[in-house]
Amino acid sequence: MTDLQITAVRKAYGAGTTVLDGLHLTVPGGSLAAVLGPSGCGKTTLLRIVAGFLRADAGSVTLGGRTLTAPGVHLPPERRRIGIVPQEGALFPHLSVARNVAFGLTGLDRAARRRRADEMLDLVGLSGYGNRMPHELSGGQQQRVALARALAPEPQLVLLDEPFNALDSALRAGVRADVRAALQATGATAVLVTHDQQEALSTADLVAVVRNGRVAQCAAPQDVYHRPADPWVAAFVGDAVIVSGTAAKDEATTPLGRVALAAPPSGLREGLVLLRPEQLRLTDAAADARGTVTDVRFYGHDAMVTVAVDGMDAPVDVRVPGPAPVRPGGRTGVRVTGEGTLHPVPHVRH
Amino acid sequence: MPTPETPAAQDSAAPSRGPAHPAGAPAPAGRRRGRRSAGARPSPALFVPACAAALLAVLPLLYLAVRALERGPAHAWDIVADERTAALLGRSLALTAAVVPACLVLGVSLAWLTVRTALPGARAWSVLVTLPLAVPSYVAAFAWLSAAPGLAGFTGAALALTLVSFPYVYLPVSAALRGTDPAQEEVSRSLGHGPLRTFLRVTLPQLRPAAAGGGLLVALYVLSDFGAVSLMRYDTFTRGIYTSYRASFDRTPAAALSAVLVIMTVALVAAESRTRGRARHSRTGRGTARPAAPAVLGRLRLPALAWCGTVVAVAVAFPLGTLGYWLAVGSSATWDPTTLTDTALTTLGVAAAGAALTTLLALPVGVIAARHRGRAAHLLEQAAYAGHALPGITVALSLVFFAVRYARPLYQELPLLVCAYAVLFLPVAVAATRAAVVQAPPVLEDVARSLGRSPLGALREVTVPLAAPGIAAGAALTFVVCMKELPATLLLRPTGMDTLATRLWTETGAGSFAAAAPYAAALILLAAVPSYLLGRHRT
Amino acid sequence: MRRPLARSLTALAAATLLIPALGACSDEPAGLVIYSGRNENLVGPLIEKLEDSLNTRVEVRYGDSAELSAQLLEEGDETEAGLFLSQDAGALGALSKEGRLAPLPSSTLDEVAPSHRSAAGDWVGVSGRVRVLAYNPDKAATPPDSVHDLVKPEWKGKVGYAPTNASFQAFVTGMRVLEGDDATRTWLKGLKANKPKAYEKNDEVLRAVDEGEVSLGLLNHYYWFAKAAEEGEDKIKARIHFLPEGDPGGLVNVAGVGKLKGADKKQSEYAQKAVDFLLSAESQKHFADETKEYPLAAGVKAANGLPPLDSLQPPKIDLGRLDSLKETLAMLQDVGMV
Repeated sequence: MTDLQITAVRKAYGAGTTVLDGLHLTVPGGSLAAVLGPSGCGKTTLLRIVAGFLRADAGSVTLGGRTLTAPGVHLPPERRRIGIVPQEGALFPHLSVARNVAFGLTGLDRAARRRRADEMLDLVGLSGYGNRMPHELSGGQQQRVALARALAPEPQLVLLDEPFNALDSALRAGVRADVRAALQATGATAVLVTHDQQEALSTADLVAVVRNGRVAQCAAPQDVYHRPADPWVAAFVGDAVIVSGTAAKDEATTPLGRVALAAPPSGLREGLVLLRPEQLRLTDAAADARGTVTDVRFYGHDAMVTVAVDGMDAPVDVRVPGPAPVRPGGRTGVRVTGEGTLHPVPHVRH
Repeated sequence: MPTPETPAAQDSAAPSRGPAHPAGAPAPAGRRRGRRSAGARPSPALFVPACAAALLAVLPLLYLAVRALERGPAHAWDIVADERTAALLGRSLALTAAVVPACLVLGVSLAWLTVRTALPGARAWSVLVTLPLAVPSYVAAFAWLSAAPGLAGFTGAALALTLVSFPYVYLPVSAALRGTDPAQEEVSRSLGHGPLRTFLRVTLPQLRPAAAGGGLLVALYVLSDFGAVSLMRYDTFTRGIYTSYRASFDRTPAAALSAVLVIMTVALVAAESRTRGRARHSRTGRGTARPAAPAVLGRLRLPALAWCGTVVAVAVAFPLGTLGYWLAVGSSATWDPTTLTDTALTTLGVAAAGAALTTLLALPVGVIAARHRGRAAHLLEQAAYAGHALPGITVALSLVFFAVRYARPLYQELPLLVCAYAVLFLPVAVAATRAAVVQAPPVLEDVARSLGRSPLGALREVTVPLAAPGIAAGAALTFVVCMKELPATLLLRPTGMDTLATRLWTETGAGSFAAAAPYAAALILLAAVPSYLLGRHRT
Repeated sequence: MRRPLARSLTALAAATLLIPALGACSDEPAGLVIYSGRNENLVGPLIEKLEDSLNTRVEVRYGDSAELSAQLLEEGDETEAGLFLSQDAGALGALSKEGRLAPLPSSTLDEVAPSHRSAAGDWVGVSGRVRVLAYNPDKAATPPDSVHDLVKPEWKGKVGYAPTNASFQAFVTGMRVLEGDDATRTWLKGLKANKPKAYEKNDEVLRAVDEGEVSLGLLNHYYWFAKAAEEGEDKIKARIHFLPEGDPGGLVNVAGVGKLKGADKKQSEYAQKAVDFLLSAESQKHFADETKEYPLAAGVKAANGLPPLDSLQPPKIDLGRLDSLKETLAMLQDVGMV
């Protein structure tokens, strides 16, 4: 299988600006991994090192057992068999759609190239668009052509660099699904670089959260969301409710009441308990925690209610389905369902 | 190009509150992607030919070193340190200081009027205002002098040079104006800035690299010009160099003075690249910007038309009219159409060869200048420019020097003349190539690399085709300046060969202006064709 | 959008194809190559006659005399040229000084008066020109007989001259040789104070005189004859006056010719024949009739309307000493004329 193995990759631009700080990442063959991180976390640098556009200062990259980058080894991009889908597609504006797709097909005769290009356009749902010029396509179509172009030479790995950024949100979900389907159809290993947690969680098989040039957590989307490695990851991949708690066995006592703990900690007693807003319920019945509603935001499919819980410094968010049953200023009870995770209190940040 | 810093992609479907980044999220200084990092070395396939081009361009400097130091450094220093040298330098700089701002005003105003406003006949104007490129400076100067002898001196020299060289500013600035994003101007207007303030604070700063590049070419043109200043009797550095050859038949002072000119050029190029360096990020290169809605001129329509009309009248119509007058009044106008045709064909041939070689040599230098930073890239570009302010005679003599020693079979054959054009006009083509390549997004090269192309393959199949219009524009410009070239052509042409410029020189030298007029007219009309194409470029 | 440029590139490439066709014109190797600082229009017809006379092809590279001499100095022994035809004595003197000219046989030298040839015996004058005073009879009924009169108040603002022109500078150099630097400087200052009008070329000076812009003009004699030929003698108002009695303003300068070292034996022979041809009656007559210059050899008489050269009483001066042009320029710059 064409596993992508990134080992202890380091990259610094000049003195003092370390971008990648010994990053490790393994992407199993055939899966789609998302590299998720805030701007400036080094995810783009990582992508350019994997693609071969940048040289790493240290560390190695192997793909299906082939060494691409290692100390003293730097395979040029054109020999890596890695397809890239840049932001906004970056189609060659001077070539037709078909010639864009066929660009990487060398060593085939003209008819075979054309056939393969048509096949790929078919795969991304753009049959019959071959003779158009890139500027005659919509943004989503351009992005799909860019994918077809990357997939045409049957690369071992496809790198997608924030490919849905430029698309408007209505289009995004559709293109995302098409891209996922096309990748699955070809069985290519893929790495999607993004700073959009929704995109990462909904598209990828595996999410690697990158912070300060290292992978903070790499796991399946649901694990990253529900069992974040630390409060930072929790807050980065979604809305988080963070309360202090004292653990006893597989439960923690918090200002919101008792919370069941997933993966009970060994030896840790005092810490932060992480919950998601949808784990909290508003209740009229007597509850362990009560508070005053300070804000209600309606999103259509659900609503978010902010409650200043009595005895807590920071307010908590509660996600409720449908129209919110409360108004700002009203009193309400809050209770917790499901499991939380317990983490040590960070030394500096909180 | 990707701009990861843009916090635009807050997916509205995600019910997130506030910024997605938790407090205290680390944010190391972001690196712009897409650009080549400082460490990336140009490929040898690019670097080697670029070095060859640069070496050719610095040949005159080697010659100057040999000649200037012939009688010891002390002698050379005496010449350079002479107070007359300082005076000449001052006069040359004064002329440059007058012509460059005038060209900037003309070039920028005309570019704005023809690109961004609802000026009636904007397309026609955009072609007409590039035509002065076709007028040799000596023809312009002669036309003015014969109409108003009182202009002789600083005023006349500044006038003639401004009117022939402002298109060097007009062309890049109008291209840049087409490329700027009108959204920024709209934002400025919405923030309460009037049109003028918006132009000065938002539009103009974005035009600075283009205007500075054009201004540099104008400055070097003014420094190297001999035709206009000699006719206008304004003593400049170049005239000092010529006088040194003519009066004392002495090559040492001429070489020492030329070396000063080279130092001045290097300083100017450095100043220009500083401007460029600061403004590097002004273009985001995000595809094609939406074309701006043309500004309505309103009450300014007539003054704007009058401005364009006046410029075209004095810069194009006037010299052509003067030629027509000579043709009409002179009795020596018994010119031979066959000779004229032959000469015109020869001129086209050598100018085309000159433009082709110059463009070819400029390609690797321009690409490296556009795509790479660092000392080597900088030096290469500097080298291409270094000899550009040298008068043609100096460049020609340096090629005589090297050719008779090391390339005797080429001496006074076409290839050497074509090489001389390349040495003289390399910067013109380098500037055009660099500007064109900068506009081709580097991410496309990355994509091509990932699809199996070597660096050179990516360049050939993606960047060069994309930059082709700009590179062709540079070739057209080079073609025009090659056609007009005189001093190097006189010395290096195959014996017996005539171009329109040498014929024109012969006829005016014999005082038969009526006989000269057809050659001057043919020169202007032929040079007008590429100028016309340049004016239509990207409109 | 990109089409016109694509087309122009194609045109450019197509035009490049013309190049081999250009090279094709030099099919037969030339027996003699001449570098000529004299204008093609003036000597071109003579070169054709020379070709017939030598019975070989003659190639001519036209250029500025001084630039050609710089080129010849750069070329050294590698030069293709066998002969240098110069507009003035100075450029020949510079080559002679650097030892680039081959000696001429005395039979050739003797054709020309010693004052019109190199003292070193390596170049000869082939035609002469005289500095004259052009005047407009409407403005100046009786022109002065000496350039020294031009500093008088009566000519204030009425004199036209071409201070940057080589012919004027040669005249000033002659004046320095004849009268010394101090006297010349005083005269130049006086002239400058008299506010003369400066022009670029002699023919512009003549036009200014003709149109009454100025009353007097300092120039070479043949400009008047050229203008008379182009426009008709009766159509021009200006007349010329030859300055008598050795006045420095009446300097005679020559265009000359020298053989170059470095030419092979065959070409040297052709070059020698060409020198003799230029001094022959046929050529001397050409200069007299076509360029209205003074013939210097073979007993040929000057054109009608020109006073004979030996009647002119020009200043006695060694033309080889006219190469101190640098000092002249410095003086002109000091005075503020150039």
